[in-house]
Amino acid sequence: MNLWVYTFRRLLYVIPVLLGVCLIIYLLFNVVAGDPTHILLGKHATAKQMAELRHELGLDRHWFMQYLDLVKSAFTFDFGRSWSTKQLISSMISEGAIPSLTLTVPGFFISTICAVSLSLLVSFYRGGLFDKFTILICISLMSIPSLAYILFGQYFFAYKLGMFEISGYDFGFPHFIPYIQLPVLIWITLTIGPDLRFYRTVVLDEVYQDYVRTARAKGLGEKLILFKHVLKNAMIPIVTYVVIQIPFLILGALLIESFFGIPGLGGITLNAINSSDFPVIRAMTILSAVAYIIFGVITDILYTVVDPRVRLN
Amino acid sequence: MKKFLPLALLLSLVVSLTACTKKETSNIKELHLTISAKVKGMDPIYANDVYSSNEVARVYEGLLEYHYLKRPYTLVPNLAEAMPIVSADGLTYTFKLRKGVMFHNDAAFDNGKGRELTAEDFVYSIKRLADPKLQALGWWLLDGKVKGLNEWRAKFADLTKVDYTEEVEGIKALDRYTIQFQLAKPFPQFLYSLAMPFTFAVAKEVVTKYGKEFINHPVGTGPFILPVFKQSNKITYTKNPAFRKKLYPSDASAEFKHLLKDAGKPLPFVDKVVVDILVESQPRWLNFQKGRIDYIVIPKDNFDSAVIPGKGITDELAKKGISLLVTPSLDVTYTAYNHDRELFRNLKLRQAMSAAYDPAQSNTLFYNNNALPAQSVVPPGIAGNISGYKNPFHGPNLELAKKLLAEAGYPEGKGLPEITYDCPSSTVSRQIGEFFKKQMAQIGVKVKVINNPWPELQKKIKNRTVMMYGIAWGADYPDAENFLQLLYGPNTSPGANGSGYNNEEFNALYKTAAVMQDSPQRTALYEKMNRIVAEQVPWVFGVHRQSFVLQHSWLKNYISADFNAGQAQYLNIDLTKKKDMTSKL
Repeated sequence: MNLWVYTFRRLLYVIPVLLGVCLIIYLLFNVVAGDPTHILLGKHATAKQMAELRHELGLDRHWFMQYLDLVKSAFTFDFGRSWSTKQLISSMISEGAIPSLTLTVPGFFISTICAVSLSLLVSFYRGGLFDKFTILICISLMSIPSLAYILFGQYFFAYKLGMFEISGYDFGFPHFIPYIQLPVLIWITLTIGPDLRFYRTVVLDEVYQDYVRTARAKGLGEKLILFKHVLKNAMIPIVTYVVIQIPFLILGALLIESFFGIPGLGGITLNAINSSDFPVIRAMTILSAVAYIIFGVITDILYTVVDPRVRLN
Repeated sequence: MKKFLPLALLLSLVVSLTACTKKETSNIKELHLTISAKVKGMDPIYANDVYSSNEVARVYEGLLEYHYLKRPYTLVPNLAEAMPIVSADGLTYTFKLRKGVMFHNDAAFDNGKGRELTAEDFVYSIKRLADPKLQALGWWLLDGKVKGLNEWRAKFADLTKVDYTEEVEGIKALDRYTIQFQLAKPFPQFLYSLAMPFTFAVAKEVVTKYGKEFINHPVGTGPFILPVFKQSNKITYTKNPAFRKKLYPSDASAEFKHLLKDAGKPLPFVDKVVVDILVESQPRWLNFQKGRIDYIVIPKDNFDSAVIPGKGITDELAKKGISLLVTPSLDVTYTAYNHDRELFRNLKLRQAMSAAYDPAQSNTLFYNNNALPAQSVVPPGIAGNISGYKNPFHGPNLELAKKLLAEAGYPEGKGLPEITYDCPSSTVSRQIGEFFKKQMAQIGVKVKVINNPWPELQKKIKNRTVMMYGIAWGADYPDAENFLQLLYGPNTSPGANGSGYNNEEFNALYKTAAVMQDSPQRTALYEKMNRIVAEQVPWVFGVHRQSFVLQHSWLKNYISADFNAGQAQYLNIDLTKKKDMTSKL
């Protein structure tokens, strides 16, 4: 099938998915969560003012009209303003996405490159001391809670040794660099363990395949086998794992951002839930759903690039 | 080797760029503050949390303010020239405005130059607070208080546009510099409203120009300027070069006499105010220790490493020139009974549970032993608190608790249903709930702790579906009325009286006191009400918290206060000392 036709057809799935997502959000918010005006008005809320606010927010209209509004915002991406902060949601997201991305993108790339390279290396030495030692390190890294890395890293490297900034963020290149160095290192430490173990499993799955044995029998060098043949064949799970993480990079890292004072999107959904900020919850859910679909399509297309045997259907 | 060249170049570029961005020390006076929550925006009418209202008050100003160096809190004129002339019936307040007060420069004004503040600006600003389309979070402050304002609000509620030109009887600009308020009924706390950021002056042109984005374009008359607000991790204000001649106070209460060194000098003292928003306590604490923040409320987890009980701060901190300020907060923590429930109309049961509760132990466990056990509802520091009064049902008195429980009809808790205790889901709130459960178990009262996300807890309280719940109240203004209203029957939830306590005697006294001006007679009524609730135990009283603040030696004129809107203008930095001390940190 033509790539464009395939992409178009897959993107059409967005429509039913969004309608469903809207219905779920609507039900969750209007049926389960109840009246948001308690929270929005704060400690001095009165029944009268709550009723007035419900009216202003359009919560007293027919349920179908409210659902239609929700659907409209999902397809136009016009999410309006936050109920809690009165800020334009599109600005909240665009302004928060940059700091989040400056933290997560370098972390993600470095961690992925290191993890894939190391996974090939440990597969080369599979069963040996280096392999065992690396796995031991990975498991040790994964056993320590993320908070411990953050607390220790900030206290020891930033405060005691003064190697990094304790916290903060400056917008614009290169001003943000001093502030993201330690958070990026912590991000890598947090993600490299599980990533490496996953990639190692993927590579090892391939290493025992018949074609590898054949290649070896033909006298090909181990390096050539690993980097040319094994890596190529392991690309499908690797691509799936990598691409599907990309949309979530925008959402940042809640704990790291919060401890290092990085004004990213890490806490945006959580804060919105805590303050019954429906428009923000709605925006984040819809955007996540759309991103998930789009990156799913990208993954599929990449499959055909990394493995010509795959046909789009 | 060649293939590593690009990598080496990239690394050296990053390192050199990092080096370029290192900050240089300068000779300008910068005040560095930190807060623990995001600021919602810079529109005064939505500033209903302490963080937003403090930020709003750096840029905007009101008619009145609290005297910086006087306790008990005393109102003094700010944008008003003098305190108002109040009519004999207490219903009409006439203010004269200061002349020559200018708004900050902004593109919204002709030629971009700020214009003079007039009485019409206050008329407009108060109307905004009542605008039904804006749903201001400070509307409660004037709801039903100003003549004609509720009618004005109601009239436009269902129309598409609000007409600000339509006069409201209770708010009039008599001339360019005179504003008159007429109240619908006596409301002695009215003047406090005019010191709260909700009522601060905004300019109509700016609101019109920016529309919904006004929240991000603060243009006031205040000591500091913020061209654009961004909901970020840092807010940087600069000194308003055209700020009117406002001087540091020359008189002070006895406890603040030592802060008079800057008396008579023009405000503000600092060139910049930098506010860092750090949600977590560790970075706040570490930044303070490095001298990057000038003062800090001691985070709970760092309390033991900073303060030695009964002695003050540790030697390590003292050597760094850091000093400690302990100030009682105007607040109260409590566990409320839902008085809708027949069960809790049983006075003896309420008293028994109160007597079984040990606030001193709770103080040790949750407040680092630095709070004051609450005997009743009104905290120390405001009229109505009875100095030295001991609540007869204050725990721990297990013998009395058991006796009262038996008298209530539930000897050793027999026949008493399980009581649910709702609290927010934060760790500390959960621990407080578990502590309450343990305390009640001592007399045979079974308690089940239920954790709720904050919105859920609020909903349950407002809908009155809770049995008991743990919560706290902080003062909006320094008047006992603000605490006593929490127990006034007609304020029952969804009003401020979440517990639904309704006592006729108390209600009658409240109604009488509510229209009285501050006087010994009113204080006597407040004290009587305070005593009634102590004995009637509508809540199990917790503690009045105290704030423990550490400040660096270079920060001058700092006071820990409940109402610190506008405080930054009074603070000063000793640059020589700062340079000297930071090198040692």
